[in-house]
Amino acid sequence: MIKTLFIAVISSLFVATSSMALDRSPSAEGAELYFISPKSGETISGPVTVIFGLKGMGVAPAGTDKENTGHHHLLINTGLPALDLPVPADDQHKHFGKGQTQTTIELPSGKHTLQLLLGNHIHVPHNPVVASDVIEITVK
Amino acid sequence: MNYRVTIAAALVVAAGALAACSNNPIEAVKEAVKSDSASVPGLPRSSSAEGARLAILSPGDGDVISGPVTIVFGLEGMGVAPAGIDIENTGHHHLIINAGMPEMSLPIPADDNYKHFGGGQTETTMELPAGEHTLQLLLGNYLHVPHDPPVASEVITITVK
Repeated sequence: MIKTLFIAVISSLFVATSSMALDRSPSAEGAELYFISPKSGETISGPVTVIFGLKGMGVAPAGTDKENTGHHHLLINTGLPALDLPVPADDQHKHFGKGQTQTTIELPSGKHTLQLLLGNHIHVPHNPVVASDVIEITVK
Repeated sequence: MNYRVTIAAALVVAAGALAACSNNPIEAVKEAVKSDSASVPGLPRSSSAEGARLAILSPGDGDVISGPVTIVFGLEGMGVAPAGIDIENTGHHHLIINAGMPEMSLPIPADDNYKHFGGGQTETTMELPAGEHTLQLLLGNYLHVPHDPPVASEVITITVK
């Protein structure tokens, strides 16, 4: 009896805490993220202007919770982060929380991978995830 | 000496202001409208960021296109926010088709010539009838009113086959 109660309490705590996990917003069916520029395989001198393309959803600044919107993140030389947490903010994960749809960045010479990832109002990737293909560029 | 000049100037300005107020207020509004439509009371125009630029990333000026036209909107120096969201240095896109710039102090109209992208969209695909068309992008604030100064792209001309 006590054992049953114990199991029930632990299970319900488990359920409760998992429902406290961060909200992932639904993405729109057919939503696509892509690079308008640069193109994969391109060699670039000087600062790199990256232009973000988004089909099927809209852009909203971080903090704005509106259906079918999100804001851009640029992943540089790193893979997709954990999808149920806010995208980290560091040199490899650039946030565009003001609704920007392009950026110009200095990258050191050499090869770099770039990927776009959409995040919701609290920077958590949508479900299903809206991410671009990974592209590779060379900076001279 | 300077002190007196300052007082005199202030009195002159005050007198002028009082005289204007005591005139027919309708005349005052008409004068305001004539001189600068942005001073028509009631509609806030949001400031645009210095150096903000709008461009139609595709199609290019002079392009000939078969089938539905995909138009991609480029915004530099400001961000996109959906209509209704009032955040500094943001706005949402409007596409002007075969029409000129609308009134700057009013919400951009919504019709076949003025398409709104209040969901924060940064591109669209649309059917346009065969023939030549002019396209221009114009940013609007949370109330669909153009920013001050306005953020608009060049006008491009395309031909749909």
